[in-house]
Amino acid sequence: MEVSGEAGNFTIKIKQSPRYIDMDKCIACGLCAEKCPKKVDDEFNMEINKRKAAYIKYGQAVPLKYAIDGEQCIYLTRGKCRACEKFCPTGAINFDDKTQIMSLNVGAVIMAPGYKPFDPTPLDFYGNGQIADVVTSLEYERLLSASGPCMGHLKRPSNNREPKKIAWLQCVGSRSTNRCANSYCSSVCCMYAIKQALVTAEHLTGDGLQQTIFFMDIRTPGKEFEKYYVDAKEKGVRFVRARPHSIEAGRNGSGVRLQYTTESGAMVVEDFDMTILSVGLEIPPESKQLAEIFDIELDPFGFAKTDYFAPVRSNQPGVFVTGAFQSPKAIPRSVTEASSAAAEAANLLNQARGTLTREKTYPPEKDIAAEHPRIGVFVCSCGINIAGVVEVDAVAEYARSLPNVELVENNLFTCSADTQDLINKKIQEHQLNRIVIAACTPRTHEPLFQETLKEAGLNAYLVEMANIRNQNSWVHQKTPEKATEKAKNQVRMAVAKASLVVPLQSLSVAVTQKALVIGGGMAGMTAALTLADQSYETVLLEKAERLGGNAWQLNETGNGQPIRPMLEDLIKRVQSNQRIKVHTKAKLLSAMGSVGNFVSKIEVDGKTRAVNYGVAVLATGGKESQPEEYLYGQDPRVKTHLEFDAALRERSDEIAAAGSVVFIQCVGSREEHRLYCSRICCSHTMKSAIKLKELKPDMDVVVLYRDIRTYGKREDLYKQARELGVLFIRFDLQSKPQVHIKDDDLQLTAFDPILQRPVSITPDYLVLAAAVEPSTDQHLVELFKCGQNEEGFLNEAHPKLRPVDMSVDGLFVAGLCNFPKPIDESIAQAKAAAARAGVLLAREEMQLDAIKSYVTEKCDGCALCLDVCPYRAIKLEQYQQDNGTNHQRVKTDPALCKGCGLCAATCPKEGVHVHGFTLEQLKSQVHAAMAPLDSAVP
Amino acid sequence: MSETAVKIGGNKQSLFINEVKALLPDGGNLNLCLTCGACSSGCPATGLEGMDPRKFLRMAAMGLDDEITSTPWVWMCSMCTRCVYVCPMKINIPQLVFYTRQSWPREERPKGILGSCDMALRNDTCSAMGTTEEDFQFVVEDVLEEYREAQPEFTAMQAPVNKKGAHYFLNQNSREPVTEPDEMVPLWKIMHQGGADWTYGTKGWAAENYCMFLADDEKWEHIVRTKVKAVEDLGCNVWLNTE
Repeated sequence: MEVSGEAGNFTIKIKQSPRYIDMDKCIACGLCAEKCPKKVDDEFNMEINKRKAAYIKYGQAVPLKYAIDGEQCIYLTRGKCRACEKFCPTGAINFDDKTQIMSLNVGAVIMAPGYKPFDPTPLDFYGNGQIADVVTSLEYERLLSASGPCMGHLKRPSNNREPKKIAWLQCVGSRSTNRCANSYCSSVCCMYAIKQALVTAEHLTGDGLQQTIFFMDIRTPGKEFEKYYVDAKEKGVRFVRARPHSIEAGRNGSGVRLQYTTESGAMVVEDFDMTILSVGLEIPPESKQLAEIFDIELDPFGFAKTDYFAPVRSNQPGVFVTGAFQSPKAIPRSVTEASSAAAEAANLLNQARGTLTREKTYPPEKDIAAEHPRIGVFVCSCGINIAGVVEVDAVAEYARSLPNVELVENNLFTCSADTQDLINKKIQEHQLNRIVIAACTPRTHEPLFQETLKEAGLNAYLVEMANIRNQNSWVHQKTPEKATEKAKNQVRMAVAKASLVVPLQSLSVAVTQKALVIGGGMAGMTAALTLADQSYETVLLEKAERLGGNAWQLNETGNGQPIRPMLEDLIKRVQSNQRIKVHTKAKLLSAMGSVGNFVSKIEVDGKTRAVNYGVAVLATGGKESQPEEYLYGQDPRVKTHLEFDAALRERSDEIAAAGSVVFIQCVGSREEHRLYCSRICCSHTMKSAIKLKELKPDMDVVVLYRDIRTYGKREDLYKQARELGVLFIRFDLQSKPQVHIKDDDLQLTAFDPILQRPVSITPDYLVLAAAVEPSTDQHLVELFKCGQNEEGFLNEAHPKLRPVDMSVDGLFVAGLCNFPKPIDESIAQAKAAAARAGVLLAREEMQLDAIKSYVTEKCDGCALCLDVCPYRAIKLEQYQQDNGTNHQRVKTDPALCKGCGLCAATCPKEGVHVHGFTLEQLKSQVHAAMAPLDSAVP
Repeated sequence: MSETAVKIGGNKQSLFINEVKALLPDGGNLNLCLTCGACSSGCPATGLEGMDPRKFLRMAAMGLDDEITSTPWVWMCSMCTRCVYVCPMKINIPQLVFYTRQSWPREERPKGILGSCDMALRNDTCSAMGTTEEDFQFVVEDVLEEYREAQPEFTAMQAPVNKKGAHYFLNQNSREPVTEPDEMVPLWKIMHQGGADWTYGTKGWAAENYCMFLADDEKWEHIVRTKVKAVEDLGCNVWLNTE
């Protein structure tokens, strides 16, 4: 509502609407929604179906707690009903809940309010809202979703039948200034349309299925995106380069009719069962209000304005902006930027770091080593979720008969706060030393019960869970008797294993609170500086003689900021930073150890030395590839982007004298031997073309391209270039432009697909948009066991969930070595990598999970497990036995091991086990499962 | 379509498209084409003379001035503006077509349009059929009388001519009084049922303006001015043009 103060000390007033449900009491059983009589349009499903006034927004909501929609609730609007209150088993309904006004004191603000999908209603020629089988892409997303209104069984709105022929229309509410103010590209729609087309193909069966995408340019410039596009084409998704004029209703009250002209001008009329409008992203008015409250500047499109060199900083110090609020972008970049914003906030608040941390204390852990197992079993009813199908009393009764069971309780909700107190009490009363919870999944609830055990003075690993909900009552509703039998079996298995579980200690390792950054380009320097600003000692290695990398060769950013001064400033800040040790002409010779404790030998200027570090950021960069076509290397007038940039920088008068300059795009990109799109070349060409037109407005500037991929706000560069009269001619891979020399002139011929005529040009310069390649050396990749993609770019652990982490813990990645990207994205990624690295470095010691592999006496060093370990946590070592003979066996590194158990499953000799999942424990479960219920377990 | 190669470059500063851009607000956005083809997809003239709006604009952008200023396709455009309506860049293709028409020597423009414009200039009725003031008034009064007699519920219906101070000054396509006089009546009935105070004028009554389609600005303006004067002379408030 209000903000005052300044960076480091803001006071923020927040209004929180009443929820009418006590979050502490709600156990998300769903009874309130089930009993609520008021139906409301479900906004999460784009109002295609109904929800109740008591609801959760969607199944994955965090925290999973219900709420009552005050504007719709019958009691709150008309004074009668309260059905939810009657049925709520935990008394969580609170109709006295009031709007809360609260004041927060914070040092930094991160704004991530997201976007809203474009409403296509003003584009009346598309008939959205008028023609039943025209839906927006977001509506379609819900129709297609297993959790959506069709439960994943796609039906078209007009007649509830499965559609066969479906068309997507791209750029609806993007790249348009007609009845729409979104001249930018929304960046995400090409990929989501392709995804929807492929998912649709998986959902439907029968003959005559076809997915068609009508597009202007297909834009798949992200990592592995081009492969996805090519794959979709191979799988039969039809891509048509055309824009239908308007959408007409189908002939029989369903479907649609589209009329379009092909690129060569042929008119086609085609009927489809459905049309999806691939709507763009825009900033909703609420976000603009929020921007007003914080007085942050927006760009002409309504996105938060940021600088290329500080991609998540708003104009207000201490206020950071990220995600689609900053520019339209997909999940990987949004997640990356979220970490960049965290880095900015962490650096700003560095002085205060750790000052508000509180540590939880537990009673001392009881030693149960000498005790016989005394098991307590808690059987959960989960409201009616379990008890509605499984006869929980019978299960509890059965549990009492099992060996080592001292106590059995049935709880309405075993996860509720009062049950935790009860469990604690029972542990003390009955001296329980193992606990079995028969309820739901350990995936969501095990940490809660582990916590309860710790509070009761027991080791956290003395709890076992039997999932009698997700794996039983939810899937066996129609056969309750069998479900009850199965639940008994599940409990018996858990009890059998519980009798064998032992306390486990999680390892903790001391962290070397220092970072190594490899690569002294824009990304590496930014990462180093960000780490240093968080007070971590950082060693920066650069193989060249000076810092700076590719940035030395670039002239301007997309918005016209000169790069050189900024680069020089960055280098100066890195070199003068007390915490950064810069080594140029440096080389990494070795890398040992694991997260928190790495050690490397490095060679600097011929001398070898050792470096200890807890984390490393790999920013080894990329380079412009050498073209092998279009007379490159044979004629000095044929240049790459970087060579032409140098010419523009050093002899612009000479360039300005040219009558004609031609650019060829995708030189070495998007071809069989290098399938990916190099992402930056379209924008680079626009910048150069605009520069030429500014130097000399009547110069003929021609761009030969396959798809223009000026994604996001970069579309403005494309528009600017067209405005200035740059001519764009498309070509196909099958009919590339031809260049030869005639009478000492460069002669270029191409084919214009619109006029279906050859075009000839005599350029003074031919500029090739050469592909970007990684420049990582393989030695380094081997040393760190980095994951790489087919083309040699270093891989992140997960493109969406962990976009700057590498799969080896403690390693992070940023810049061109990961994938081609422009400066702002490199900087954002570098800051993100530093933020993620900072999470590890902030701790003096690191707790590791106790579920780890360990080697037994039986290992004979056959090393089969080495090959299957995905984390390279196992090594072979030599040792000498007492009798002096040499042997070998494996050794596991607990810091690298993730406890997946592949080694144990592979080992033929019981030579390697995993704590918590020993062979003995698993066997006991299998025996329990196989034996008849009323017999004793053998 | 000719198969000769298009030559880009050379000294072409006097490109036709640049001249047109200079005449239009925001240059008619003529440079902004994304070649998406939405215009062609909805154009009634697509395919005629091997041409469509996208090709036409493309040829202009490539400097094929001789070809665009000679194709008869420009006369097949109905100026419906369906192309601009959906164009993501709001490119004013109809204006480009219009100025291309102007580049034609007047005498070489299509005979039908040219003849209709010239006919309208003959007298102050502005009728492309050349209908005189007297003939028009006679036909109106004659048809009115006939209907009032044949359809008793319309006995009181009026079709005033030169009624001073009427609220509406109604235009009439001049084909109707000459070839299909009955076709005038439905509109009269609407005006009657709506209780509108309206009139025809003997001067400036013809609704159409072929001089506009001929892209003859001077004559187009003359026709418009003649009609406006007729409206003002009768002191009417609203000029209703049905074309």
